[in-house]
Amino acid sequence: MKLNVDGLLVYFPYDYIYPEQFSYMLELKRALDAKGHCLLEMPSGTGKTTTLLSLIVAYMKAHPLDLTKLVYCSRTVPEIEKVMEELRKLMTYYEKELGMEQNILGLALSSRKNLCIHPSVSKEREGKVVDGRCYSLTASFVRARHAADDAVPICEFYEGFDAHGKEFPLPPGVYNLDDLKEYGQMKRWCPYFLARHTITHANIVVYSYHYLLDPKIAEVVSKEISKTSVVVFDEAHNIDNVCIDSMSVKITKRLLDKCSNSITILETTISNMKENDSKRLEKEYKRLVEGLRDATIARETDMALVNPVLPSEVLEEAVPGTIRTAEHFVAFLKRVVEYIKTRLRVQQVVQESPAGFLRDIHTKVCIDRKPLRFTAERLASLIRTLEISDLTDFSPLVTVSHFATLVSTYTKGFTIIIEPFEDRAPTVSNPILYFSCLDSSIAIKPVFNRFQTVVITSGTLSPLDMYPKILDFHPVIMTSFTMTLARPCILPMIVSKGNDQVAMSSRYETREDTAVIRNYGNLLVEVAAAVPDGIVCFFTSYLYLETIVSSWYDQGIIDQLQRHKLLFIETQDAAETSLALINYIKACDNGRGAVLLSVARGKVSEGIDFDHHLGRAVLMFGIPYVYTQSRILRARLEYLRDQFQIRENDFLTFDAMRHAAQCLGRCMRGKTDYGIMVLADKRFSRADKRSKLPKWIQEHLKDTLCNLSTEECVQICKRWLRQMAQPFSREDQLGISLLTLEQLQSEDMQKKIQLRAQGV
Amino acid sequence: MDDYQTCPKCKTTKYRNPAMVLMVNTCGHALCESCVELLFAKGSGACPECKCPLRRNNFRVQLFEDPAVDKEVDIRKRILKEFNKRQEDFPTLREYNDYLEEVETIIFNLVFDIDPTNTNKMIDNYKKENKDITQKNRNRQSQEEMELEELLEAEKAQQSEKANLYVNAELEEKKQKHKAREKLIDELMFSDADAKSIVASHVQATAALAKEQPKAAAQPGVVKSSKFSSGVQIGLRGQHTNSFLPIPKQEDLPLYRYTAPVFDYDGPPPPPIEKLGKLNYFANIRAANITERAGGYTEAMSCCRALQEALGGLFYSPQLMHKTAVLATNSSTQDTDDMETT
Repeated sequence: MKLNVDGLLVYFPYDYIYPEQFSYMLELKRALDAKGHCLLEMPSGTGKTTTLLSLIVAYMKAHPLDLTKLVYCSRTVPEIEKVMEELRKLMTYYEKELGMEQNILGLALSSRKNLCIHPSVSKEREGKVVDGRCYSLTASFVRARHAADDAVPICEFYEGFDAHGKEFPLPPGVYNLDDLKEYGQMKRWCPYFLARHTITHANIVVYSYHYLLDPKIAEVVSKEISKTSVVVFDEAHNIDNVCIDSMSVKITKRLLDKCSNSITILETTISNMKENDSKRLEKEYKRLVEGLRDATIARETDMALVNPVLPSEVLEEAVPGTIRTAEHFVAFLKRVVEYIKTRLRVQQVVQESPAGFLRDIHTKVCIDRKPLRFTAERLASLIRTLEISDLTDFSPLVTVSHFATLVSTYTKGFTIIIEPFEDRAPTVSNPILYFSCLDSSIAIKPVFNRFQTVVITSGTLSPLDMYPKILDFHPVIMTSFTMTLARPCILPMIVSKGNDQVAMSSRYETREDTAVIRNYGNLLVEVAAAVPDGIVCFFTSYLYLETIVSSWYDQGIIDQLQRHKLLFIETQDAAETSLALINYIKACDNGRGAVLLSVARGKVSEGIDFDHHLGRAVLMFGIPYVYTQSRILRARLEYLRDQFQIRENDFLTFDAMRHAAQCLGRCMRGKTDYGIMVLADKRFSRADKRSKLPKWIQEHLKDTLCNLSTEECVQICKRWLRQMAQPFSREDQLGISLLTLEQLQSEDMQKKIQLRAQGV
Repeated sequence: MDDYQTCPKCKTTKYRNPAMVLMVNTCGHALCESCVELLFAKGSGACPECKCPLRRNNFRVQLFEDPAVDKEVDIRKRILKEFNKRQEDFPTLREYNDYLEEVETIIFNLVFDIDPTNTNKMIDNYKKENKDITQKNRNRQSQEEMELEELLEAEKAQQSEKANLYVNAELEEKKQKHKAREKLIDELMFSDADAKSIVASHVQATAALAKEQPKAAAQPGVVKSSKFSSGVQIGLRGQHTNSFLPIPKQEDLPLYRYTAPVFDYDGPPPPPIEKLGKLNYFANIRAANITERAGGYTEAMSCCRALQEALGGLFYSPQLMHKTAVLATNSSTQDTDDMETT
């Protein structure tokens, strides 16, 4: 249908629209008009993706100069594919309505592993190996060598792309990963490089967060994206963690040993080259003396080694004299690695600021800050000069060089923590150096500064005001939408005590208590007896899950449970978990019913949907706080407190509640779906926890559902399930939670939407 | 496992003797402590590996896994004591970099015993030429070092201050909560009022307190740093922050008060501008077109002015000095309007 959103003609590819989708468009349009950033929360299953796409595409068509590009960032490959499907639907609708080809090019980009069509390289399983082998076939010097000697293998697809692909742009249309591969096969062009080349002029680009947030990748892939773009981060409730991970480095003893090996390789290669072909080294040396930034860095194939973000004035400057020649640089690296090795030889935990580290490295091994800052850049240059084609061996050394560069560049917002052993196994010496980023705004700052509009959206972003604080930006619009429903299809409940009136809580003091564990077990058994099909349970940690399950065995709860449903457990092993998932789905599909025990923050809680019969109930056992004793977390909390005035408890609760909300949201994937959400912890009923749940859950969490015992909970469940089991058709929804064009345009509905816009 | 350190002379490993400590001397070859005692009982001797003469009191505990690095660091420290020129001592960055490379080459040569005679000559030459600069720089910290020191000190100060502040604040808050709760219980126990109203008033009081809290917490606020994390000053050089002129102080004057102006027309009062349309004055003049309106012009203005001009000074006579004062306010002109329409 064609909509009029605040004066903008929007083609919406469906015959019906949810009222909140329309409000979402209104807010988004306002943000685009204002050229500011926005933060929008809308429940999962209400069609966020299609709403976003249809509005932004319409806006691009109406204001082709103000908005040139949409960059859509998603988390996983399946999610990227989903977005491409929605986009395809939208474009076919456009074509049908307007009766002509649309001049819009949309494309998905993923790693080489997902896009490679080289017959042998694409067979590799690991992403890093694919990258390394691709590099060894496409690096500029390999191709130069091939020109001299035919025996050197190269990639025919890359050659094809290099020869022809650059002149002929991709015809307009929507290309997902498979389409790109097919197109590549047909033309004999490399789809990966084709996609990367096309990014600069495509209208819509869909890729993973890392291509924008990880400075090492962003510099190569997303550098040339124009300022007049809108960037969308979907499923962005964990965006601060992504930012932090992309700037943090972890160095273990084994990694350092590997570094030493790579350094020896470098040494021998240099001495070989000195004997045979000293010209190349001289050339590199001259270039470094001149202080020109390496021109070849722009060459797209030599991408594997780039340095993390640096202030640009550092890049303009010449490499300092201490590390100019290759031998000196290798000796320098050796000293750095040996120094870090001595630092790892500690007996107790050490925490240090980057400034302290720099001073110590200066006094111990006489390394100044400046050459340290150039380490990553210099190493990349050296590896290129030495024409080492197998990069996989060098990744440890590259990690160390990134660490050196980062530690000397940033003195604020980072901390160094050296742990001699893991907390769980204090007798086993396993020293690890964490260079941890504390400030999530560092990695995302360039994105906010660069692009005119950044949209952060997810099903669970509550409390909204935390995100601008921790990401340090000023949104123009910050809104949470609720779900309009024709029937009360979610039933959130807070169960705080068992039938014996013992309070249920995963608090540290009571979590080992047999009464609490038994109450949790009874709750699950009774819910399993009352609820049909699938039930998903979330625990706070793997450790807690294991202890609880083992005592349930002793208490006979597992036996009782298996009378009603089959039992599956998520483990830390990914393969095991996916097998359990497959069988869980099988058991639900054939009507046997199943219970899945999993962990908040685990694989199941992020990105796996339990729609309809796969998840009729979600049970959250305890509040999923992070492991609060972790030193990295402590350091981050302190930093947040000092820099952003966020109190420790506020942040911990925020983090726990967003994960809880994420888990609860797993069972609701649409308006025809229905599900029970049981929050089994006394502490959930406190105002500070309850108020941090997303609005669409809070709305249904009435006071009468807040302090229940197991028995009461089951009673309410039974009554509610009977109500939900009544036949439900589209006609029931029409006019309330689903609108046709006429209904949308009716005065009544417009008024309601207006009200809602003001109310939020 | 070959991970364990081994003494090259007696082959003891760290595994077999955890108390073993490896020592290195200037030549960069390791020996365990007991071997050192055995071989260098006299106070001096030859290195068992390279046969170069060593003194016992030059032995130090080996810091690094690779003894060669120990040796290199040793030499480096010695050389850098002499070669301590700073970037400020050179006119261009390029020259400084060349100098750095030269130093690096000297160290490299010494470590790997390449061309020792020439290298030593170079060092001696340098020493002679740059005696005074070396002497001067020894007591001076480089800019980078200074920056680091400053950062560290700032960190320390901030840490202790913040820690105190927050710990105190949190304690205070806890105390207050506890007090409030006790008070509530006391009241419930002893007062005769309705329990519900007591609880309600308590809830209100705590909410009010909670509102105040964040303000108090925000107070310790961050001091805006005057530096980027890379050490570059924000704005025009940190040193000059004090050199701005002080903001001129406002003088204390009595506040300005508005009084409506009084116009002396010396004639019958003209109709006010708002009433012109009603009184049908516009019938006889050209209406303003669109472009004029866009500029803010309306026909009322010129009409009003014309009327004022026409009526002003009509009563003027040097003998009578009749005056009519017209106030700018609407209410005062009300009665005169009625007269004219009739």
